Amino acid sequence: MSDNTVVPMLKIKNLVKVYKGGKKKDDKTAVDGINLSIPRGAFFGLLGPNGAGKSTTIHCITGIAQPTSGTILIDGVDVVADYKLARTKVGLSPQEFNVDIFSTPTELMDYMGGYYGIPYEVRMARINELITQFDLGEHRNVKFQKLSGGLKRRAMLGRALVHTPDLLILDEPTAGVDVEQRRALWAYLKKLNEDGKTIILTSHYLEEIEYLCNDIAVIDGGKIVWQGTKEAMKEGGKSVEERYLELTKK
Amino acid sequence: MTVNWIGLYTMLRREVKRTLRVSVQTLAAPVISAALYIFIFGTVIGSKIDSFAGVPYISFVFPGVLMLSIINASFSSASSALFFMKFTRGIEEILITPFSYIEMLLGFVGSAVARAMIVAFLILLVGMLFGAVTLTNPLMFIFYVAAISAIFAMLGIIVALWAEGFEQLQMLNTFVITPLTYLGGIFYSITMLPALAAQITVLNPFFYFADGIRGAMIGYHEANQTIGLVVTIGLVVVLGLFVTQIFKRGWKIRS
Repeated sequence: MSDNTVVPMLKIKNLVKVYKGGKKKDDKTAVDGINLSIPRGAFFGLLGPNGAGKSTTIHCITGIAQPTSGTILIDGVDVVADYKLARTKVGLSPQEFNVDIFSTPTELMDYMGGYYGIPYEVRMARINELITQFDLGEHRNVKFQKLSGGLKRRAMLGRALVHTPDLLILDEPTAGVDVEQRRALWAYLKKLNEDGKTIILTSHYLEEIEYLCNDIAVIDGGKIVWQGTKEAMKEGGKSVEERYLELTKK
Repeated sequence: MTVNWIGLYTMLRREVKRTLRVSVQTLAAPVISAALYIFIFGTVIGSKIDSFAGVPYISFVFPGVLMLSIINASFSSASSALFFMKFTRGIEEILITPFSYIEMLLGFVGSAVARAMIVAFLILLVGMLFGAVTLTNPLMFIFYVAAISAIFAMLGIIVALWAEGFEQLQMLNTFVITPLTYLGGIFYSITMLPALAAQITVLNPFFYFADGIRGAMIGYHEANQTIGLVVTIGLVVVLGLFVTQIFKRGWKIRS
């Protein structure tokens, strides 16, 4: 049984991920000893330049990549030793549209819910709820390939939430989305967090991080180079963007 | 540990839906090919042959044609589905959900076997129209159809994981499966071959697959049935263990 006051929603200890090359000298260390603790209910921003290790960290949390060493606990559950339980606790909306483009939003959520083992009636009720929540009613039976960028992102969010995960990970959730749609997505995300969902967000739109997140970590070269609250990051009258550029300046 | 039955059923349901979505390629094409084989070898050529191994030539050939279709259906289902998922990164849907490695194996293999069963059913209907279908041992027939489908589904999985492009995806089929199938005695009796060729044929596992299905359908065997069962079950077990292991290691799918 989890003790909410003690067990963080996500705890990463000394995470290392090395991508093996053909020879030892070709090995690439993408994540180099990361430690992170994210409390329940946080809206956590993970910042860093391209290739810093953000996506690799997310892949290790969700099971897409295998950690080389270190431990990752989601709500106290080890993602390697107890991977089946750990995977029910996390939902991922990835940067790329990793979907069957001939499927509709309803089908995408239906298949994903099925993979998570959710019974038909419960699954359908949940899908209807998400379709309403993300204003996908008119588009629920339209093939994914025919949806606009904003609708695609909403369908991806619905798919990530179909099993009601405790932890939602959003990797560039508004990439390629116009300003109006982005604002609408922000409103959805803000509401989700206010309702208690723990969210990790990576984005290259720093105003998005500044608007949505309470806590922020900056990762560069596979290491956490800064971690704290949004207010701490803005100390000295600097914007998140100015502080971020200082931290990642080579 | 509880089995994710709903997840497995979802994988199977999705593949059946995909099969029906491209039914011209997945269902109509193999059925038309099989109908042509049956018509040419059974009706046209078969009418000139009195009997073959004590049965009409069409009845001798039909199990081999059925096997050929099952092999193609299960291999292409597993290889194309998984390769496409790798290509579009749709495989991540499976990787992030609570499937054990054995469940992943069962899901992919079960989906491919389902497509092979649909194709087999349709070809059996065509065979019945030509009067080519008899079943002397239904249980053994089901066993061989399921086992052969599973074997080629697992080979399809291995090839899909290994392949970096569409050309590689076809290599095993072109250079191994097709030649060994045709040389496995699906259109002829091993007794018609020179002694050396007959000795080489008994080393071909496809010979035992064809013989198993033929024996179950018309009751005529040319191979040692025990060896046939050992080869077939052995391949299912060895490939099953191998594919489970490569899923566990995440070879080419989990970075």
